[in-house]
Amino acid sequence: MSEQSIQQKIEQNLFPGTANLDPRCKLLLLIFLGFFSYMIVGDVTGLLLMVVFGFLVAAGGDGKWAVKMLVAYVVVAYLNTRLKYVTIPGLSVIMSVFGVTILKFIPIIMVGRWVLRTTCMDDLMVSLERAKFPREITIAFVVMFRYIPTLKIEHGMIRNTMKIRGIVDTFWKKLLHPLSTMEYILVPLLMRCLKVTEELAASGTTRGLERENVRYSLRPVRFGWKEVAVAAGGFLVLFTLYVLDHTAVGAVVIWR
Amino acid sequence: MIEFKDFSFQYEEGKEDSLKHVNLTIPDGTFLLLTGRSGCGKTTMIRSLNGLIPHFYPGTMTGELLQNGVSLVEMPPSEMAGKIGTVFQDPRSQFFMTDTTRELAFGCENMGYSREEIIRRMVKTAQDLELGEYLNRNIFALSSGEKQQIAIGSVYAMTPDVYIFDEPSANLDYEATRRLTKVMKFLKNAGKTVVVVEHRFYYLRELIDQVAWMEQGELVRTFTREEFWNLEEETRIRYGMRTLFPERELRKYQSPSQAEGTHTPVLTVSGLGYAYEKRTPIFSDVSFTAGEGEIIGIIGHNGAGKTTLLSVLTGLLKEKTGEIRFRGNRLSPRKRRKLSYLVMQDADYQLFASSVEEELTLGLTPAEAGGEKVLRTLDELNLKEYRERHPASLSGGQKQRVTIGAALMKNSQMLYFDEPTSGLDYDSMVRVSGLIRVLAEKGGVIFVISHDFEFLARTCTKILKLDRHQRTYHLYRTEEVIDELIDELTEK
Repeated sequence: MSEQSIQQKIEQNLFPGTANLDPRCKLLLLIFLGFFSYMIVGDVTGLLLMVVFGFLVAAGGDGKWAVKMLVAYVVVAYLNTRLKYVTIPGLSVIMSVFGVTILKFIPIIMVGRWVLRTTCMDDLMVSLERAKFPREITIAFVVMFRYIPTLKIEHGMIRNTMKIRGIVDTFWKKLLHPLSTMEYILVPLLMRCLKVTEELAASGTTRGLERENVRYSLRPVRFGWKEVAVAAGGFLVLFTLYVLDHTAVGAVVIWR
Repeated sequence: MIEFKDFSFQYEEGKEDSLKHVNLTIPDGTFLLLTGRSGCGKTTMIRSLNGLIPHFYPGTMTGELLQNGVSLVEMPPSEMAGKIGTVFQDPRSQFFMTDTTRELAFGCENMGYSREEIIRRMVKTAQDLELGEYLNRNIFALSSGEKQQIAIGSVYAMTPDVYIFDEPSANLDYEATRRLTKVMKFLKNAGKTVVVVEHRFYYLRELIDQVAWMEQGELVRTFTREEFWNLEEETRIRYGMRTLFPERELRKYQSPSQAEGTHTPVLTVSGLGYAYEKRTPIFSDVSFTAGEGEIIGIIGHNGAGKTTLLSVLTGLLKEKTGEIRFRGNRLSPRKRRKLSYLVMQDADYQLFASSVEEELTLGLTPAEAGGEKVLRTLDELNLKEYRERHPASLSGGQKQRVTIGAALMKNSQMLYFDEPTSGLDYDSMVRVSGLIRVLAEKGGVIFVISHDFEFLARTCTKILKLDRHQRTYHLYRTEEVIDELIDELTEK
């Protein structure tokens, strides 16, 4: 491969549109969302919130995921309404609280996974450093961010072993023994986690992770006017929805 | 020049010195092989070299460790970065980034280089090490060999003078090992000092300048290349070393095996095929029979479908075509799972209980887990004294034996081993080979995925080779395939 094509490949943007925003901006949006998501309770405002943030995610190259989460939101919202008609003492209350919690989590999961998938660890590290976060916090945060995609792979390996050994290998066993299922997954997962984080830290240390000098990441990281506009816009949308929630709009019922 | 001068080290939690009065001089540009049995102190040596000792792994030390007259142990690891580079053993756990390009940049970014300098270094790395095709790829989608190339690249971009490799071939197939040799040769020709810790070192034989053999924390002997090439077979085995010439070792297994013809067929696989949704088949029309007590080695390059075949045979995946019969009965995936046991390369995934004894009886009914049987199994695998111990506190070999014990308790008729000798010294390899043969004598069928041809020739009755290009397979008796294995090793 020629020098020029290698350089082009190195400088190529891996993600489109909003995914290229400064990681601080994406994290800010996530924090705003986490804060307001619980306070916006109306059917119309809740759905609007999903749509607006769905657009943000879609503009960042994860349209399929946004649509999936939107559908999930509508289904859960509808099922929650149906629950009102089921009356099992005790259980009904638990179920509806559970349903509402899930509903509030859906927008956070939607944006959270998108942020996770479209943020490069070095951009994150540099941007947190620029925001004057102490090194101890940045490194711990980055290692955590990096470990999340590994969890899925490790979990798959453990589940396969459980299946072969006949430990909670069926749906019924899982349902009847939820605690042992958790334990059997968590014990090897924690063991692996300890080993992986130690090796990861060792590998980082020998490559200068702990160096105190100023870092530059491969792609320039800057909290510019675009970031200010998006963060402020996001806040404004959420605040408007919150205000609307306390007007007649908030009282409109869609899911019956 | 690096000098260990009467250097000793004891880990904070250690009971005795892990390194005892080591004296070793490594001139600039030397290619050094550091070898010895598991636990001999090799890893501690490289941790001392790359600054992880004493800053990351604290302890007490005496003596000196110098690079060009400057003490290495007084230098913090952050200062050593860029001077001494380390490529770690497990390619899965040494990546900080999730894509290859950023991983290559990682070290340079830490050094505080400007963006232009980072790009310049990355372009040079990609050109020198031929990594252009790997750029902008998801780390998790790479094979072990590809991951390792990226790990080497990330270190190379920082232009250190000393490279340390910790068991670099442990997770590689032969093709990837050949590529590794090429990269190491490039580093040697560029005048870099290379220190390799390794058990299976045949692929380094043309590169080695100096060999250091360690035992119980002591550096017992050093060899020049000539001395090492001419080492007596008997001495090599006494030192617990793998062979430098596996092709000679393999020839020993070219005569037909004694046991041939005594295996009553029990497992019949016919027309087996598998494809992930809507994609081209991983393999198709795999048909063979296996006799009672047979050990079948599965070989093939990365991506040839070895793991998928194993997943279908064990019942973790459902076949798309064909069928599997055991003693005449057709087996559904669920029945296969009941009859099978998979001993994974990494035992940590397989240990769930809080004691060895509990581990052996996990998932069994009280009748199946009768007291006598547990004791017998513990005895058979030399695990009796560890009965009450937490499985996580055992050594790698002991953990492997615990998982084998669980298989014995489950009375599995089909046993599967995934790379059981990865990272093992000669003695441990011979021990695992012996154990697998003893297991085979109990009946049932054993399958072994491995890149370790020396081990396969010693252990297996048949070899199943998967071909990734033609999506087909060949089944040979072991003695018939030796020539082909030698060709693979010697790049013909």
